[in-house]
Amino acid sequence: MKWQVALGGVSLAVLTAVLGWIALHEVDRMEANDRAYLAQAIEVGALEFESLCRPCHGPQGRGTPLAPSLNAGDLFNGTRLQAVGFAGTVEDYVRGTIASGRPVPSAGTNYPNRMPTWSSRFGGPLRDDQIDALVAFVMNWEDRALAEAQATPALPLGEALGTDITQALPAGDPDAGKALAEGVFGCAACHLLSAVGPAWAPTADTPGIGARAETRIADPSYTGGATSAEQYLLESIIASNAFVVEGFSSGVMPVNFGDRMRPQDAADLIAYMMSLR
Amino acid sequence: MAIFRLHIPLLDDLKAKGLKETLRAKTEDLVTRVTAGLGTADVRSVLRDDPPGRPNPRLKPHAEGFWLHMKPTYYHNLVDGLYPTFRLGWLSTFFFAFEIVTGVFLMVFYTPSPLVAYENMRNILSNVPYGDLMRDLHKLGAELMVAVVALHMVRTFVTGSYKKPRQFTWATGVILLFVTLILSFSGYLLPWDQLSLWAVTIGASMVEAIPPEVVGRAVNLIVRGSPEFSANGLLRFYLLHVIGLPLVGIIALGVHYYKVILHGHSLPPGAEDVGVDTAKRVPMESRVYFMPQILTRELWHVSGLTAILVLVCTFIYNAPVLEAHADPLITPLHITSPWYFLWLQGLLKIGDKVIWGLLVPGALTGVLLVLPYFEVGPSRRYGDRRLGLSAAALSIAGLAVLSFMGSPWYKVTTSPDQEAVATLLPQTHPGPLREANWDDITLGSYTAAEWSTAPTPTLQRLLHLFDQQLGGIESPERQGVEGIMVVEDWQTDLKKVTLRVVWTEPDGTTHAYFQSAYLHRQRDGGHEASRPGPGVQEPVTAPPAAPSLPTSAPGAGG
Repeated sequence: MKWQVALGGVSLAVLTAVLGWIALHEVDRMEANDRAYLAQAIEVGALEFESLCRPCHGPQGRGTPLAPSLNAGDLFNGTRLQAVGFAGTVEDYVRGTIASGRPVPSAGTNYPNRMPTWSSRFGGPLRDDQIDALVAFVMNWEDRALAEAQATPALPLGEALGTDITQALPAGDPDAGKALAEGVFGCAACHLLSAVGPAWAPTADTPGIGARAETRIADPSYTGGATSAEQYLLESIIASNAFVVEGFSSGVMPVNFGDRMRPQDAADLIAYMMSLR
Repeated sequence: MAIFRLHIPLLDDLKAKGLKETLRAKTEDLVTRVTAGLGTADVRSVLRDDPPGRPNPRLKPHAEGFWLHMKPTYYHNLVDGLYPTFRLGWLSTFFFAFEIVTGVFLMVFYTPSPLVAYENMRNILSNVPYGDLMRDLHKLGAELMVAVVALHMVRTFVTGSYKKPRQFTWATGVILLFVTLILSFSGYLLPWDQLSLWAVTIGASMVEAIPPEVVGRAVNLIVRGSPEFSANGLLRFYLLHVIGLPLVGIIALGVHYYKVILHGHSLPPGAEDVGVDTAKRVPMESRVYFMPQILTRELWHVSGLTAILVLVCTFIYNAPVLEAHADPLITPLHITSPWYFLWLQGLLKIGDKVIWGLLVPGALTGVLLVLPYFEVGPSRRYGDRRLGLSAAALSIAGLAVLSFMGSPWYKVTTSPDQEAVATLLPQTHPGPLREANWDDITLGSYTAAEWSTAPTPTLQRLLHLFDQQLGGIESPERQGVEGIMVVEDWQTDLKKVTLRVVWTEPDGTTHAYFQSAYLHRQRDGGHEASRPGPGVQEPVTAPPAAPSLPTSAPGAGG
């Protein structure tokens, strides 16, 4: 019986020690859980953004003619808040806009659609936790958007290309074009999966975009203004709504690339694409 | 002239006996009252294991006190060892109390509303000191309690202890078994994440099948509060969990305990003649008194078990991570009911919901409840009960088989492409991709078949797993199966991973199934400093490509 008393005493001592040990680590553990929950909210928000927000706010929240950019320095540095006279934080602004929508466009903007109401509290479809997740995701652009606003020079770097697809372009460099496509112009944001935009790389069953351009220009169903594969590709970049391949929607691809690239950039991109067979 | 006179006996005592003597007398009095009959000297002698005096003062608390009234004054030494009880009944009671203590702690931080329940759970885990430990303890305790209670019943059957005169004790035990099962089941819903909502939905959907339809619909409405789980259903399950079932449990437990005291613990089957029950007549030389032996042992078991459970929950066991918020519109692939109801899910897969989901389990329950009233063979000895023991063994084997049938491995028809993707990205738990080291999932586009050329061992492992799963897809209907994993840089500390399965069907058309997941560097909490808080707005004058702020747009791999 004495050993039982002893073991009971040891158990209580162990119990106290473990509880004390937990107490020492509890703050760290709780903070780790906080970080994990923010991280998971961002993951959930990313999924929601793709299905709900991206159609108007564009891939990577870069903005489209339908809705403003969210992945932009002026949202996070307060310029946009000042423009509408909002006195709260950026996070409050984002949350309020998502939750209640924007029945009237902000002064100085003229987007064709109104921001819908998303929160179920105001008649929208989303629960509070879904709104929270979206806010966490949008706010996670802050670092990059601010850094980009400061560090990335405005495009184009030289004289703009314009929207004439028949102009003569300089000789292009495929490697430079690949870097542009994957880098500064952000083409990969959309054109990686065929589910959201035509992918450019060849796959097991689809030839590369260069070969596809040649097929397309010869196809009688093509109704655009291009007369060669290269022109077809240029048209697809700077006047993307002139012809939209069946199965994809018009108005999804931004139409301002002509103002953002130099002729050399376009030539490099086309050279790169034509090299993908 | 005194208007009133104050009489404080303590002062008189102090005056008469002095401070020390008065305090001693008062302490003695207090201890005797609290223990319902034992003075300090008696308590000390119990703790020292001294032989009791005559008449034995240690019997008085059993006669006069409430708590010890529920404990026998002495046990037969044949039931004092591990066999034949295996202490399972005692363990069941321990876990019942353990769940109440941990449950009350959790209740403090929980509101049964779909608007905040999930948020409350997260708060318990990330903002309540010891909240995580308490949840783990409550969850582990619940699982163990189900197991212990079930084993207690099996033991009672095997030793034939349900036989006359203990038939009614058995019946209350069956009620307690169901209370335990439904307690555990109703608690499953409360975290209000995808896992809990859908696991409970599977079980609760059975009541809908009660014929005729109008009754089924009404009962379903009563149980769930609306056609599907929502605010009403959550509140009902919560009330069932914290008030309804514990109340039934405490009453049934009271009767169960009372009957155990009344009839005594049944002796091992071989210890007495067939048809005789001698449990109540314990010869003097076979008595093991509650005080001090049993009491000491139980106190040590309580402290020892608690310490073990806390240790296990601190260093080994973790309750399942919270899945996404409950969403009545999205059913996760491969969701199952809790393990102790898998056999029911297995029954449901056999066929008709009414027959296999209601009639068969209902009949089994009925048989269990009245078993001692028609299984009246007088002998409790194993040799005389070959048929009954074989039937029990077969039933347990049957439950195991049915439980397997209830699992996703049996007769679940999903398309193999979804299955392959779900291996890496399961919908009921984090799974290999989400648990992989974030930094090792390097940006790029990878083909499953070429897994060995992937840049990191983690990616090789994941792609190899993907490739193995794809191997099972190839069939005359699906040829040229190819698996692709694309990893893109999406945001600060966020990557997008897309798993894609492409195949060609006999008519030459190409089909694809894909699923994307977003992986955050700190989804497991991480241990580095968290991201810079909002408001970090110093102009970045340094070169733009600071390592933590890659400015390039999402990169596409070859």
